[in-house]
Amino acid sequence: MSGDINRQLSHMSEASSMGSDGNSSEDLEEDNEYYMDNTDDLDLDCPSKADDPEYFEYEPLQLIDAEGMLNEEIEALCTKLKVNPSTAKMLLFGHNWNKEDIIENYQRDPQGFLIESHLASRRKHDNLIGVRPTCSVCCRDFPPDRFLGVACGHMFCRECWDMHFQTQIQDGITTGIECMAKECSILVPEDFVCEILSQPKLRDKYSKFSFNDLIKSHPRLRFCPGIDCSVIIKAKECKAKKVECQACGAIFCFKCGLNYHAPTECDVVKKWLTKCEDDSETANYISAHTKDCPRCHVCIEKNGGCNHMQCPSCKCDFCWMCLGDWNNHGSEYYECSRYKENPNIANESMHVQAREALKKYLFYYGRWENHAKSLQLEEQTTAQIQSRTQRKVMNNEGTWIDWQYLLQAAALLKKCRYTLQYTYPYAYYMEKGSRKELFEYQQSQLESEVENLSWKVERAEIVNRGELENQMDIAEKRRQTLLKDFLEV
Amino acid sequence: MTTPARRRLMRDFKRLQEDPPAGVSGAPSDNNIMLWNAVIFGPHDTPFEDGTFKLTIEFTEEYPNKPPTVRFISKMFHPNVYADGSICLDILQNRWSPTYDVSAILTSIQSLLHDPNPNSPANYEAAQLYRETRREYEKKVAAIVQESWNDDDDDDDDEGEEDEEESKAGS
Repeated sequence: MSGDINRQLSHMSEASSMGSDGNSSEDLEEDNEYYMDNTDDLDLDCPSKADDPEYFEYEPLQLIDAEGMLNEEIEALCTKLKVNPSTAKMLLFGHNWNKEDIIENYQRDPQGFLIESHLASRRKHDNLIGVRPTCSVCCRDFPPDRFLGVACGHMFCRECWDMHFQTQIQDGITTGIECMAKECSILVPEDFVCEILSQPKLRDKYSKFSFNDLIKSHPRLRFCPGIDCSVIIKAKECKAKKVECQACGAIFCFKCGLNYHAPTECDVVKKWLTKCEDDSETANYISAHTKDCPRCHVCIEKNGGCNHMQCPSCKCDFCWMCLGDWNNHGSEYYECSRYKENPNIANESMHVQAREALKKYLFYYGRWENHAKSLQLEEQTTAQIQSRTQRKVMNNEGTWIDWQYLLQAAALLKKCRYTLQYTYPYAYYMEKGSRKELFEYQQSQLESEVENLSWKVERAEIVNRGELENQMDIAEKRRQTLLKDFLEV
Repeated sequence: MTTPARRRLMRDFKRLQEDPPAGVSGAPSDNNIMLWNAVIFGPHDTPFEDGTFKLTIEFTEEYPNKPPTVRFISKMFHPNVYADGSICLDILQNRWSPTYDVSAILTSIQSLLHDPNPNSPANYEAAQLYRETRREYEKKVAAIVQESWNDDDDDDDDEGEEDEEESKAGS
């Protein structure tokens, strides 16, 4: 799906560019060149299944479509097993919607499987003693016909069931409502609840909450986590892959619903985020917004995403992260993304070890946080590019289309920096060894190309276009290489 | 005004009087049936033996569909009792059933004194001592058993907060 949409978009952009063809023959030649280049760029955004590690098929559904899809699955199971829809729904909900497993287990031992699923019991039904038996919840006497029960046969009066359902639904419990008897975990089916519930408002609430429960339990459906977004994403399989909601623009991981986090895995990124939250006081204290120039000590505020800094007063080039000479970064490889562990750490005291652990964390956190901030600042860069493009077009310096490559460069830069940001939690939790060395090597390669790209994007006017596009290509290739080697497919 | 919760609490009280379980007692406070005072006597053959531990039980109108809030007023040293006296017990939280009554709640807490669950500690020190140095644990419990008798001296017609302050001052 994602591929298809991109393909469509690319057709659209090509079509629109066709419409505004150049005026003179010179322009035409340039334009042709542009289209040639452009198709190359588009290949990056329009990946095929085989070579893109981030490729993922999914489609957005509206509430009603998702409901239809669930109902179809429920009905199919009903006819296959000859059970009522309430039971089929509970079975699917309780067993991860794994139809094959449910059918196999049910056909082997229907009663046993229902008991295991908390939908049946071997218990004999309550014997209602006397003409007016007592309800053990409200302790009042009623004629026997006022007593009702589910599969376990625990009998209670209609009023008590009603009250029980009301309190449970108000707490947001629907599909998980259990029998009222102590130590009884038999589930109460939907038809029983809806038959007894006296308040129509709560009946609506019940169906809404239980629908939400069903969606959340379904391994191939996800609510879009975007604010006020009601789209449900349907995928072929449940994987930690990137989903971009077409309706609200939210980008998230299909498996865990958090912000997309390749190459880091779901549980690792969760651990990392919790850690960052816990330790944020210290980290905030240490990561300041300004730094002094390493040569002339003038105070410099970072106002762009690029880590390649040039001191406005003494003109020295340095790296924002390590304050080292930038020229050493560019040439061989980017050393600054690699944390150097103290080799004698095992022999040191607890106190030194704790300091070292904090130092290690702050090293990775600093880089993580720095890329997050840079990403925000790149937004400003994009806005600047937009306004500059507008100005140029107004002054007849080329057409709007001629300057689109700048926005493409900014978008690609964001994408690369985003992945780069999420390489730091991955590296933090990685075991020492040759794989970590390879990872850090590729990370440093990506880091250095992203900074080159960032530098060129910020100075797009004076950078030759071919040079910029070349840099875009290199940066994206580095990103793809890293993901191919380290993203679990 | 009678509501389902109040009606049920009257039944609980009647049942507690007619069929009192051993080692526990409880009654609604003088002018409020939604707030009960209770006493649990330390069970035999446990370090809590001979202690008289006071508790309050606070009900809402959702009772018995929702469990009451139960707290020790007397000082307690137990792996599953928090510093403020509230109790970590499954039937008072996620395993609650509307069929439980006051008698069932009090006897469950009594058996919790017998069988602590050190795997879900509300009092970390108590849980650790219970697991590792049982003798130290028993010594600490013996101290709060002693203290539970001192509580009785102040037990005129004051209840709740007053008692709590007394027991704190004594510690």
